[in-house]
Amino acid sequence: MKTNVARLAVAGAGLALALTGCGSNLGGGSGDGSGFPGGDPVTIYVGQDPGGSTDLIARALADTVSDDLGVAVTVENKPGANGALAAKELAGKEPNGHTLMVYNGSLAYITPLAVPADEALDIADYEIVTGISQDDYVLVSAPSSGLKTVEDLKKAGKAIKYGTTGVGTGSQLSQALLFAQTGIEATAVPFDGGSPTLTAVLGGQVDVGAIQLGEAVEQIEAGELTPIVTFAEKRPSYLPDTPTAVEEGYDVPVQQSRAVFAPKGTPKEVLDTLRGSFQKAFGTDAYKKFNEDNQLTPNEVDGTELRGQWTDSLDNYKSVVEEHGIDLGAGQ
Amino acid sequence: MDLSPVIDGFGVVLEPTNLLYCLIGVVIGMLIGVLPGLGPAATIAILLPVTFGIEPVTAIIMLAGIFYGAQYGGTITSVLLRLPGEASSVVTVFDGHELARQGKAGTALGIAAIGSFVGGTVSIIALSLLAPLVAGFALDFGPPEYTALALLGILLVSTVSSGHRIKALVAASVGLLLATVGRDGFTSAERFTFDNLSLADGIDFVPIAMGLFGLGEILYNLEERHRATQAPAKVANAWPSRKDLRQSSGAIGRGSLIGFVLGILPGGGAVLSSLAAYALEKRRAKDPSRFGKGAVEGVAAPETANNAAATSSFIPLLTLGIPANATMAVIFGALLIQGVSPGPQLVSQEPELFWGVVNSMYIGNILLLIMSIPLVGLFVRILRVRATVLAPITVLITLIGVYTVNNDVFDIVLVIVFGAIGYLMKKLGFDPGPLVLAFVLGSLLEDSLRRSLLIFDGDATGFFTRPISGTLLAAFVLVAVLPLVRRALRRREEEHVDSSA
Repeated sequence: MKTNVARLAVAGAGLALALTGCGSNLGGGSGDGSGFPGGDPVTIYVGQDPGGSTDLIARALADTVSDDLGVAVTVENKPGANGALAAKELAGKEPNGHTLMVYNGSLAYITPLAVPADEALDIADYEIVTGISQDDYVLVSAPSSGLKTVEDLKKAGKAIKYGTTGVGTGSQLSQALLFAQTGIEATAVPFDGGSPTLTAVLGGQVDVGAIQLGEAVEQIEAGELTPIVTFAEKRPSYLPDTPTAVEEGYDVPVQQSRAVFAPKGTPKEVLDTLRGSFQKAFGTDAYKKFNEDNQLTPNEVDGTELRGQWTDSLDNYKSVVEEHGIDLGAGQ
Repeated sequence: MDLSPVIDGFGVVLEPTNLLYCLIGVVIGMLIGVLPGLGPAATIAILLPVTFGIEPVTAIIMLAGIFYGAQYGGTITSVLLRLPGEASSVVTVFDGHELARQGKAGTALGIAAIGSFVGGTVSIIALSLLAPLVAGFALDFGPPEYTALALLGILLVSTVSSGHRIKALVAASVGLLLATVGRDGFTSAERFTFDNLSLADGIDFVPIAMGLFGLGEILYNLEERHRATQAPAKVANAWPSRKDLRQSSGAIGRGSLIGFVLGILPGGGAVLSSLAAYALEKRRAKDPSRFGKGAVEGVAAPETANNAAATSSFIPLLTLGIPANATMAVIFGALLIQGVSPGPQLVSQEPELFWGVVNSMYIGNILLLIMSIPLVGLFVRILRVRATVLAPITVLITLIGVYTVNNDVFDIVLVIVFGAIGYLMKKLGFDPGPLVLAFVLGSLLEDSLRRSLLIFDGDATGFFTRPISGTLLAAFVLVAVLPLVRRALRRREEEHVDSSA
């Protein structure tokens, strides 16, 4: 069921349990988070439409977090501008732990390369509750094209047309980097999301395309798509026979990553309580199966480590993009 | 042809939820068909937010039910009150109301219901046979083909539709312009966003449709003073006699065919086909003077045709992703919001949705046939609800509804703005239909065009060398030039007549 606003069951019994996560600081007044959640509901923003991977992840977690905190946890979709709309709204919310967001990594470390500087969001303006998981991109071609390896692409003897899932996405960045580093002449053709990109590759409208693994795996298994490389750091367990671009000698790990964000200034105790609840949710069998079904690699690190990962990615991409003179904004 | 997905589709329809929503859809459809003013496009637009909480197939089953249900409902007021509830039932007034005055209201309604059922069924069967054929080309449809298709769709809708042609083209241009608002998907440059992040993804389809069709129509209707409804004639012997049936069987057959063909054509639809079917019967009749004095065929033909057209207008939408009329544009929007993009891939990628919706039309038509006669009395009573009560309630539902889509107050502002625009357009004789259609197809047209040019390395001749897009573009030129040629020919003919006289 896709419900725009999913009201989840309130389990009062979990309250005492949740409070134990607050640590030893019991003396403070209001604002230090000792009373969190205090019976008030928690809202998790999703910057994408209902039904997309980010939305599904938020909903997969919300149930258990709600049970653990003992209050209702509501997933609210605020789609727009690749998630920037929801992120801006989050930044303006009271930092009390009652408003959170599932934040997409691409918004933090790829979109800033494509949009004007004053529009780019800075993750320093948010607190990070916890990392969630990573989604790998795979470069695919139609079997009829005969393109099976990066070598084949080099020898194609023509400018490669590559489909991307949009401007400022990991799909575009990963391919732009690969082709720039291999010196392959290539033109990006942006589509609107994974499914149209997939169709364009299948129909031979473009030569190759990079799609999130979960969206392509069915066709790969059916032999309708040939996986060329993945852009992961190491081979994803779901695609053991496909080399990574790094193995092939190109320095282009690009992943979609997701994390739970809170407004800047949310007290540490509240963040810790929330992280405890999310970790409980990560540990359930249902959630582990959800990850497997959707080809997601867990990345359940704490806020500090995640901030490090994403900041490194942004710095990395900034320098390689500059080095190769890639302009994501121009779509080429 | 592999029949198993078709049969699975029946399984989908017969799920209790879907049956329920099918029933809800056709009842709402009949209801708004009875109410003059509020058309199916407006109703579906207003009800869009309701559909987000339910499964796509269930949602579309309900919306489709509203559309063809309205064709049944419109007949009732035409016959009983000489007050067409829908534009597509205008011609039914001539003979339908005459029959009612002769005390044969039941005959007229019965014939209309039977004709509608036959017309609808013929169209569904043809839809079932035709759609998979088109879907066979699914993977050959790339950006160039979509470019040509969107161009053709916009042109057809603005030129074939009823009303003033220049005004329709103006409305379509405004729609295209509105479609450019938002962050450009190719360069991420901001266009007409005025630094408002709410506009970064462009204007949402829902507030436009709800504003122009919903709010605009309600406002416009408020201006019209409603005539006091007279007590309707008693409806007796609802079942037409065998003689009536025999007399109208030819009209029903021809009406089905006309409705089916005209319904497929963009801009054709229910209104045009009902007019065409009526005209044909009158021309064919041995005694044309009977028409307007209570000829059964005069009811059977248009009512069959409008329902056949309502059904067949789903063909271009479900197979090519091109909405043929305003109502289809709103259903197109509903599908997109549900994450389903209508197009040649729909039949193979979403067989459950496709066949579920198609097969639900059989059930819906049977439900309508059963219900239409006993519910007549109820509907007539609803007509007495005054606009002063109905209009504020509808406005409230519209505004709450649009807020629930994105939980964004900005959308409410948009609905009000577009409601005002819709009202002014109607007042100045502009049909909002082409605007909404062009808006829906505008981003498809632009994105596909630019994608194609990237694929062709900027060489536009590629559009003409690919067989499908070449054919579509040839059709485009034909449609654009044909009216000019016809006008020139007519002028020459007139001159000829003048000189010979």
